[in-house]
Amino acid sequence: MKSTAAAPAPATTRPARASKAAAPRRIRRQLVTSPWLFAAPGLAVVGVFILYPFVSTIINSFTDKRQLVEGKYVGLANFRELLHDDMFWIGLRNSTLYVLVVVPALVVLPLLLALLVQKQIPGITFFRSAFYTPVVASIVVVGLIWVWMLDERGLVNAVLEAVGAGKVGFLSDQWLLLFSAMAVTVWKGLGYYMIIYLAALANVPRELHEAAAVDGAGPVRRFLSVTVPAVRSTMVLVAALSSVAAFKVFSEVYLMAGPTGGPAGEDTTLVMLVQRTGTGLTGRVGYASAISVVIFVVTVALMLLVLRADRKEDK
Amino acid sequence: MPAPTTTTKDTPERTADPAEKAPRARGRRRRVTDENGRRMPLWELALRYTLLLVMLALMIGPFLWQLSTSLKGPHENIFSSPPSFLPSDPTLHNYERVADTIPVWDYALNSLKVAAANVFTNCVGAALAGYALARLRYRGRKAATLVFILAMLVPVEGIIIAQFTTMRDLELNNTLIGVLLPGCISALNVLLMRNAFLNLPYEVEEAAFVDGANVWQRFFRIALPAVKGTLAVVAIFAFMGAWDDFLWPLIVLSDPDKFTLTIGLNYLHGTFANDERLVAAGTVIAVLPLIVLFACLQRYFFRGVGEGAVKG
Amino acid sequence: MRHSRISRSPRRAVVAAALAAVMLPLSACGGDEGGSSDASGKVEGEITFQTWNLKANFKSYFEGLIDDFEQKYPDAKVKWVDQPGEGYADKISADAAGGTLPDVVNVSPDLVAPLAKAGIALDLDKSAGKYEKEYLPGAWKSHQVPGLEGTYAFPWYLNTGPLFYNKRLFKDAGLDANKPPKTYDELFDDAEELAKKSKGKVATLANVPTIEDFGRYGVPLMNKEGTGFTFNDTKGVELLTKYKELYDAKALDGQALTATPESTGKKFLTEAVAMNPGSALDLEKFKKDAPRLYKNIGITPQISSTGKDNMYVMGVMVNTRTKRTPAAVAFAHFVTDAQRQMSFAKKVAIFPSTKGSLDDPYFTKQDGSDETRVRIAAAKSLKTAVNYTPVLFSEQMKIELRNAVARALQGKQSPKEALDNAVKACDRLLKQS
Repeated sequence: MKSTAAAPAPATTRPARASKAAAPRRIRRQLVTSPWLFAAPGLAVVGVFILYPFVSTIINSFTDKRQLVEGKYVGLANFRELLHDDMFWIGLRNSTLYVLVVVPALVVLPLLLALLVQKQIPGITFFRSAFYTPVVASIVVVGLIWVWMLDERGLVNAVLEAVGAGKVGFLSDQWLLLFSAMAVTVWKGLGYYMIIYLAALANVPRELHEAAAVDGAGPVRRFLSVTVPAVRSTMVLVAALSSVAAFKVFSEVYLMAGPTGGPAGEDTTLVMLVQRTGTGLTGRVGYASAISVVIFVVTVALMLLVLRADRKEDK
Repeated sequence: MPAPTTTTKDTPERTADPAEKAPRARGRRRRVTDENGRRMPLWELALRYTLLLVMLALMIGPFLWQLSTSLKGPHENIFSSPPSFLPSDPTLHNYERVADTIPVWDYALNSLKVAAANVFTNCVGAALAGYALARLRYRGRKAATLVFILAMLVPVEGIIIAQFTTMRDLELNNTLIGVLLPGCISALNVLLMRNAFLNLPYEVEEAAFVDGANVWQRFFRIALPAVKGTLAVVAIFAFMGAWDDFLWPLIVLSDPDKFTLTIGLNYLHGTFANDERLVAAGTVIAVLPLIVLFACLQRYFFRGVGEGAVKG
Repeated sequence: MRHSRISRSPRRAVVAAALAAVMLPLSACGGDEGGSSDASGKVEGEITFQTWNLKANFKSYFEGLIDDFEQKYPDAKVKWVDQPGEGYADKISADAAGGTLPDVVNVSPDLVAPLAKAGIALDLDKSAGKYEKEYLPGAWKSHQVPGLEGTYAFPWYLNTGPLFYNKRLFKDAGLDANKPPKTYDELFDDAEELAKKSKGKVATLANVPTIEDFGRYGVPLMNKEGTGFTFNDTKGVELLTKYKELYDAKALDGQALTATPESTGKKFLTEAVAMNPGSALDLEKFKKDAPRLYKNIGITPQISSTGKDNMYVMGVMVNTRTKRTPAAVAFAHFVTDAQRQMSFAKKVAIFPSTKGSLDDPYFTKQDGSDETRVRIAAAKSLKTAVNYTPVLFSEQMKIELRNAVARALQGKQSPKEALDNAVKACDRLLKQS
């Protein structure tokens, strides 16, 4: 880790701290001019359109407000109701599972893919762009495409049948549905994180690989002892970004399992539950707000957890 | 797109056939070396291309299948099983019908306006704020950073009605500006830019400072060009975000003249028109501009990402 | 200290701007006072009319209609907006909450109920009661809300349709393709036979029972006062038990638990299921998308234990906040009057809700085509048809029922237990609405 301080991976905070410490006092004092002017537009937009509505969401979570009816203060009643709501626990289970499966996959697979496209062999730019295509496509389109692919008579089942594996009900079994949605999330995210890793890999000093090769380390050893430590800070960043996104998953599951969340609602995620209980003309805004608050608290905790784990390993 | 991918899409077994690709690889063997100048062994090259082609089938095969469906004529059975990969009689008829059903060009223009504005505001706003968070020293910087981190964590689905009432109070509902505003400087982009600036060495800016450059000059002439790669990422994400959004524009806009493309395309799923081919054509219309935009920016995008990293 | 002055003044500006932005919403509330409910004044002024996903196919119809209206009332102007099918309830609730709902709005009974409760839908018994006699009594009643006095939307178009079945699949299973099931018992028997003969490959049904299926089976859905649900009675449990047997025998499609109307339609098209409800519109689709199915298509009336078919109703409501009540009411009536509904029905396979319209030769005279046959049968059944779905049955309640049904079919709960839980959950939601 320390060796990368000179050539830090992009978009990570720690190596930067090192270079900041190295910055002369003088320039730091002089960089003071008009900072608020720089930050003002961003703060204003985020404040008015994200944080202010969120504050009212927090306030609503203590009321029984409904979509067309003003609410009155009900204390912690919504949160108490959550504890007894089976659907809430199903949602919490699924969102947590999503993090547990998707995050490791998105930390490891894009790194392997980045290694595959790292070498400048002919046509590699084409492959890189092609692998990025799913990132560029909208999630709605991606959902439509995969529902059609994983359909009972879709392409995937046609192929499975051709090789004698028989049909698989990807879109009818509660667990297969959830895992299919996870696979789509990973599929769509591969290219994005691949790019982040690609940038980080460019900074791994060549000499390290050469030295390891001279020592007789095979590709797997070299991957584990050179590549992984060198891009570790990037892995932490990927873990942080993808766990927040995974916990708030909505579109993939909504599109594949349907608005009711799969058979008996067993594939409902927490954000789906917010959407389902809170929207429409009969939406219970207060209750949905309480779920939103829980989601917010858990994502903050997740972020802290990832950063904490990172710091511990660092020692 | 080279021809082989069209015939082999969605069948990894076939694209994975190394015998088919080996001659091509062998022909270029002499020129292929790794970054150390070491020649790559033939088996490794073959393995790499095999894996690349498998991934290619996996990553863009589904899109080609959608494209194929959209080109199938009205008399071709699209539900046949086993499915036919290529349209027997390719036609643009479905695209014409989409254009007849909804004013697709007007909607696309609206989307383009919002997306272009979104790219501009995000690049400028996020770069400015990111620079302030990364480079400028002032009291409250930590708090400002925290504001953006918290904003990134807010579950947007839960606040959409509150956003709408805010927008109505500002009398910006039913305007394209209203569509634009909530996402016009996204917290994630600000944090991305912040990290990019953090990774720049201070030395360069210091040199400029010694030469008498003020903060704006340092920002525009030195810092900004050094983070082009991240700016490209922000630009693409801003474009995508605006181009793909459905629920928010739907809530904010009432007037059909102002609809964006995603809302317009939603008409295709409507009660009175439900045709897989049309839906496929619609999705192609929705995706294609993004792919074209990306294809154009791609060279710059990848180089920028790489360069930024190397420089850091 | 140059820098501190420079950096502080923008800060103050930012804080002021942010404060202004935060306070503005609080002060700007309560701007729009309601209009009057008196519709007797002069028809004048500009009103906005919102339809639900009709522009794509019926642009010229509505433009012509608006022209006619403006000619009849030269002082009135109508602005037409159309919203896509998806997210319509979200759109309306945002507009209703934000006070930006158009003057005249295309709704369905389940959308009207919460709007009426919130005082946003105009009571037509008071403002336009004189028009009641122009409509079919059942259709007029469909926009009444239990617990509230009044009628909250003009009935607009109706829809219903037959059951389609695949004659080839029936024949392959050794069933008489010209004798489709007429009762629930026959349906269940045929379905089990089809599943058995095809070794579980061909399901007959692709949808789990919804609230209107319970209604059609003769299950009482709500108590008379409209204060509680009752679909967990013995009849309801009987229907669900039967469906559970079908599901286990694979006579109900294995993907039914996750099915949507589109997915089941697709399954019928690909000849993976043998029966599917539909409307005259579908014949066109079969002809185009699945020629082989079209050759083998069988058409039979809906199955019902009550003798009354299910129908879907669309309505047109007037916003109580409109500033142009006379024009809004006049236009809502104009859109739904017999002449306009009749010409709309001739454009697309829907049915008018106005008295006498269904006796028009268009709905009674055969011409030998399948389309006409379907249309005439549907028009006939509409005279007695019912909108089984209670107006108070919200989207959230539909999901509760659907999930309960799924739990019963999966065997996680007994049918009785599942329905008891669903009724409990729906009652709770009803109290909160």
